[in-house]
Amino acid sequence: MGSVEHTGPRRRRVRWTVVLEQELRDLWIGGRGLLLTFLFSVLIGVIAYIASTNKTLNFLEQRESVNLTLQVVITVGGLLTLLVAADTISGERERDTLETLLLTPISRRDIAVAKFVAALSLWLVAFVVAVPYIWFLGRGVGIVGDALVTGFVVGTFLSVFLAALGVIVSLFAASNRVSLSLSLFGLLALFAPTQLPSGAQRGWAGDLFLRVNPITAGSHYVGKIVVDGFAWTQDVLWLASPVMGAVVLAAAVPVLGARFMRLRGGVSE
Amino acid sequence: MTPAIEAQGVGKRYGSLVALADFTIAVQAGEIVGVLGPNGAGKTTAIRVLTTILAPSHGSFEVAGVSHTRPAEIRRRIGVLPESAGYPERQTGEEYLRFHARLFGESARSARAITRSLLEEMGLADRGRSLIASYSRGMRQRLGIARALVNAPDVVFLDEPTLGLDPAGQRQVLGNVRRIAHERGATVVLSTHLLAEVEENCSRVLILNRGRVVTEGTVSEVASRAAAPRTARLRVAPRYAEQATRALVAAPGVEKVDRHDNQPGFFTIAFSSPGEGPSRASSNDAVRSLTDAGVTIESFELEGARLSDAFLAITEAA
Repeated sequence: MGSVEHTGPRRRRVRWTVVLEQELRDLWIGGRGLLLTFLFSVLIGVIAYIASTNKTLNFLEQRESVNLTLQVVITVGGLLTLLVAADTISGERERDTLETLLLTPISRRDIAVAKFVAALSLWLVAFVVAVPYIWFLGRGVGIVGDALVTGFVVGTFLSVFLAALGVIVSLFAASNRVSLSLSLFGLLALFAPTQLPSGAQRGWAGDLFLRVNPITAGSHYVGKIVVDGFAWTQDVLWLASPVMGAVVLAAAVPVLGARFMRLRGGVSE
Repeated sequence: MTPAIEAQGVGKRYGSLVALADFTIAVQAGEIVGVLGPNGAGKTTAIRVLTTILAPSHGSFEVAGVSHTRPAEIRRRIGVLPESAGYPERQTGEEYLRFHARLFGESARSARAITRSLLEEMGLADRGRSLIASYSRGMRQRLGIARALVNAPDVVFLDEPTLGLDPAGQRQVLGNVRRIAHERGATVVLSTHLLAEVEENCSRVLILNRGRVVTEGTVSEVASRAAAPRTARLRVAPRYAEQATRALVAAPGVEKVDRHDNQPGFFTIAFSSPGEGPSRASSNDAVRSLTDAGVTIESFELEGARLSDAFLAITEAA
């Protein structure tokens, strides 16, 4: 017994990438990521098909079709990222696997960061899946490149924001159900302004309201580039809240992870 | 010699609820220590504090010579099977152990070798590539013990390792526990409800009740300290029954003598002074009276000196 040579684990620092590797394995080889990506690709395929072939219902210009599809890609890609992120800590807690993870020398901060990064992989794959559809819808009018770059940049900021939000909710939630419900509620609350009548979105208050919400601000910026043909630098201030949201919440993940990753949810031990 | 575990006045509170109070122990290297207690006694809290999952509200401790102020260093030196350990159903046993070995800083190659060795050791070599979802409860417990050993720990904490196992599974797990102590030289802290497990496997025992250590010592010390024999069953040849009755009635410390009507030569005697020393003396006096009277004793069995009696006496009295 115990004849195997241990390679000095008591000195070596454990890297967070060990957890990341396992998270990616669980997500993609375990099948959950593939299933979500499959459903995503079906949805995007249907939207792209309707936008490009149904002449009776298709009252959108080509640029607007690209914008619509890109907005759906960003929205649903962000939603999937949020769902995976919201399951990270509370899911481990519910499956009783968190304790064994906390019993290893790796820091709680590193665990939180690894899970956050793993959740983001879903956005990257979703975006790659969407590339052919955007290319197909936008070919011939010279917006494919701009649409893809804008969609990737804005979608990445929003996905970072939503993944961080999901991980943070998951840290505090007492159960996985609570974590998923709160995260979805948060997402719906952020999307709600996009459904307000246009009158409610005018004036300085409406403008401010749209600008401070990362989702509405990001969506507005993408529309300006893809539909109105704005340059990158025009209206770039609309990117402020997606960038700020992503930076602030992403920075909060390791800080809160180190402090609040516990066997039970809540803020007190 | 530095104790493997040394705790001084460790406590854990949740608001006004005291989960653990003034927990003080010293466990030497290589010992198997049984931690007993009724539900809610604080066994799991004590283990979670010592394994750095929970921060103590007060007090200090060292595990494997490392202070509680360096929790990551403690975790490098311990192995733990938590009470309600869950397992990722979609991983194979091999993947699970390899991942945990890497979490302790092992290289990929070393993690593979450790995994193979531990699966072999726990009798899971042929199921290493099966999904954990297909494992029985006993196999999962053995996998959990293997996981607790991936870092060659100095101290191993096992919280209810035989819970929910059939007798064969219990025997297998307890065999592994003994091997961990004897062949690996690790200190083992075994929390359990099963008193027989402690009697058979542990060199020392600690009884917790309502968050406090109520007694500790070797199994026989605790048993005799808390539940000194109050009665005895004895058998003499039937022809000595009358002589034995007279001798026992006259013996100091014997309060009551019952002859079994349907079993000639069988007696149950009750001692008059329960507690630590006197009952031992009373039983000796009873035996001496019988031998002085020329009665041949065929059997003499003290009752109420098992760990289970001690456990009940201590926890019910507290």
